[in-house]
Amino acid sequence: MNLISGIEITASALNAQKTRLDVIAQNIANAQTTRTPSGGPYKRQLISFETSLLQQTGDGQPALHGVQISSVTSDPSPGERIYNPQHPDADSQGIVTMPNVNLAYEMVDLITATRAYEANLSVAKNGREMADRTLRIGQ
Amino acid sequence: MSPVSSVGSPLTSLYAQIAGANKAPPVLPDSLKVGAPTTAPSGEGFAKVFDQLIGTVESKQTQANAITQNVLVGGQGQLHQSVIAMQEASVAFSLMVEVRNKLVDSYQELMRMPV
Repeated sequence: MNLISGIEITASALNAQKTRLDVIAQNIANAQTTRTPSGGPYKRQLISFETSLLQQTGDGQPALHGVQISSVTSDPSPGERIYNPQHPDADSQGIVTMPNVNLAYEMVDLITATRAYEANLSVAKNGREMADRTLRIGQ
Repeated sequence: MSPVSSVGSPLTSLYAQIAGANKAPPVLPDSLKVGAPTTAPSGEGFAKVFDQLIGTVESKQTQANAITQNVLVGGQGQLHQSVIAMQEASVAFSLMVEVRNKLVDSYQELMRMPV
């Protein structure tokens, strides 16, 4: 029973993409972090989405599915090992394990997330324009 | 609907009175006299509907305000939720204005009606 059609679903998608951007920001920010509370270097975080039943619009109508965060998991791939004996986190051989963050991957993910966010913004804008045009029926 | 059907029976009784004018002078039924109490619907029903509409619009605006405040203060809300809530409030307000325009149009149409 929304004035703007599909806005709740779009809002859930915007929320999901925003969280994805947050995770990418976290990956980029921690690209050089060699120490974490759990020990060891930072692990790249991966996000995955799942559908969520938002509303059953009525009898015979299709159920509408929004999107929500399914999980945020760590990338298990090993990080780069660099010889740097001066580093405080270097092991006894002077090797430092860097995070497994690849900036090129993160930038591609960033662009994808931004474009997905923009696509959902277009849906929201379109819904608003549809409502405006509907209000002008009698004019 | 009801004014037409209620007018029907006084008219037939009026015709009956005119037909029997020899016996007694015709008497207008109460419902046809100027200033007579009528059972026409008052404006209260529409006013109530409009009142509810204004209440809904106001609650939407209050909600949008609260979400925006939350975003600004840095709470749980998010930017897009705030903007979407404002858009919803804006559309609700436009709908209310549209209803009001229709009401004024109907009123002016009635005022232009030749008597």
